[in-house]
Amino acid sequence: MDEQQLVLAAQAGDKKALAELVNMYEKTVYNFAFKICREPEKAENTMQETFLSMIKSLHQFDGKSKLSTWLYRIVANHCLMEFRKKRHRFISIDDEDEFIEDNSAADWSTIPYQSIENEELRKILDEAISKLPPDYRIVFMLRDVEGFSTEETGKMTELSGPAVKSRLHRARAFLRKEINEALKR
Amino acid sequence: MNMESTLNSGKVTCKEVMHHICENLKEDFNSERCRTIREHLDKCHECQDYFKSVELTIECYKKYNMDLPKEAHDRLMSILGLEE
Repeated sequence: MDEQQLVLAAQAGDKKALAELVNMYEKTVYNFAFKICREPEKAENTMQETFLSMIKSLHQFDGKSKLSTWLYRIVANHCLMEFRKKRHRFISIDDEDEFIEDNSAADWSTIPYQSIENEELRKILDEAISKLPPDYRIVFMLRDVEGFSTEETGKMTELSGPAVKSRLHRARAFLRKEINEALKR
Repeated sequence: MNMESTLNSGKVTCKEVMHHICENLKEDFNSERCRTIREHLDKCHECQDYFKSVELTIECYKKYNMDLPKEAHDRLMSILGLEE
């Protein structure tokens, strides 16, 4: 059965079809949740909440968009709600000029990006992204890392195209600057 | 090179190019302004390095993935009442 047939079967109460849908998307959902919240425990919790939410609202799913798009949206909303509940304070990144002013580039050729298992590199990446406000983080992950278009990202985050582009612009500049500074240390 | 330098063309500064890189990476590069930026990029090593470092930033986050542990899968199926 393809995805559409599985959704129809699951909507009709077929547990096997539902289990197959969960199996199809659990890795994607877990990995995306981890990329936003950066902690395995929180990623697992978000994955559970996402599929519980999917099951609860599956009868409303009309198949006009992909199920995966719908799941990405649930993950993004859940992560944003969690950040708001915890009242994390993030630095303002409204002034992108501040992140572009950079006269001394580090030696990026030393970055062992071919081997992302490198602990030091993972730490640098974790520290940089953890400083980025979550709404910017979600746009960066959807657009640049998961490869969605500006329009798709806008639909998933309920942002206009220019707002997606503006957040992406700042997120890229901010992360690049943070990693550049870490590499200089 | 200073960020405000304009190379020989006088049309665009390094800082403008760096902004443009962050704003328009992966977008259409066919407008007149994009052509000017590309001409600058072809000549300016500092902006080329900046461009590569933004691309590397994205590449690193793309490659940084987390596998779903078997126990987390089992717990999920149990919570959903879908145990195999």
